Amino acid sequence: MATIIRNGFSLVRKSIFPSSARAIATTKQLNIKEIREQKDGSKLVIEGVTLPSPRAELLVRAEKLTPSAIASEESDVTKPCYLCALELDVKHTDVLILSQFVRSDGCMLPRRVTGLCRRQQKKIGKMVSMAQKAGLMINLTPAYCKKDPRKRKDYKKFNTYFDEKTIFMKRIPDQNDRFKR
Amino acid sequence: MSACKRVQQWATFARTWHIFDCKWQDPYQSAGVIKKYLMGMHKPIYHPLNDCGDVVVCINSREIALRGEDWRRRAYFHHTGYPGGASWTLAWELHNKDPTMIIRKAVYRAMQGNLQRRHTMERLFIYPGEDIPEDVLQNVTNQIRQLRLVPTRLDHIPEEEVKNYPKVMDYPEDYILK
Repeated sequence: MATIIRNGFSLVRKSIFPSSARAIATTKQLNIKEIREQKDGSKLVIEGVTLPSPRAELLVRAEKLTPSAIASEESDVTKPCYLCALELDVKHTDVLILSQFVRSDGCMLPRRVTGLCRRQQKKIGKMVSMAQKAGLMINLTPAYCKKDPRKRKDYKKFNTYFDEKTIFMKRIPDQNDRFKR
Repeated sequence: MSACKRVQQWATFARTWHIFDCKWQDPYQSAGVIKKYLMGMHKPIYHPLNDCGDVVVCINSREIALRGEDWRRRAYFHHTGYPGGASWTLAWELHNKDPTMIIRKAVYRAMQGNLQRRHTMERLFIYPGEDIPEDVLQNVTNQIRQLRLVPTRLDHIPEEEVKNYPKVMDYPEDYILK
């Protein structure tokens, strides 16, 4: 009895406030957008401008590089994401690659934007923070950061490098320098 | 002994001066290489009783790089000999006090603790910056290859190269630029 009443109520509510109307779009919702604010006098105009993706002609994809090799591979193993398919050995010093996964203030983009698999997202995110700590991407940082490593305090002041093998380690072991203490 | 052989003899036992740029190098990894040249182990005539070690000049020792959290994890121990005289100095504190000390201690520890070690260490010159005395520089005839690549900062790469670099990530179609 209760279920019949609940279903009846939901039917009535749906007829009054049709939620499905939101799913129908009359405009094409593609292309990258940029939100611009203009103020002339007392009027504030906020508009979303559609833009083409920057540097789209330089985009590298594995299937474009070697179509025959990838097609034969696809039969047995499919790669989870485009970065896995490229099989790049990305280091934390490769700032030209890492800066593509980063917002203009240096924050890592979320996975729904980057489109990476879980493992690659974790790996790239860690390497971005490594590059930031090593002071290699200091033009991509929030304004309040102490940008230059030389202007940082204490132990952050000196050069630091990182080992990419430690990214997926639970506990990072002490460096084995084989010297007597 | 002919003149030619005599020159060969001189060249074999002459001390060569090597230069090593410590910029962005791990001191503990490069200590193994520096030690090899200091003791003369890179020569086929090497013998522990044979005084064939070379001279190594380390420059830019202020710019060394330690791995990960080593700057605050590594401690250097010293004891004055008096009760309560023990002290532990962190690597970054030691580097603040003397920028040549970490690399010197690394090379010292990389060698075996025998009587020869202190004399071998006398042949190691370390300078915190690039300015080294002229009389040292004019002896140098060889450069030791760096172990790690010196990384380039993104703002030091010319803008043209950044713009023309291949793109891996593309934005999704409904992304809002910030």
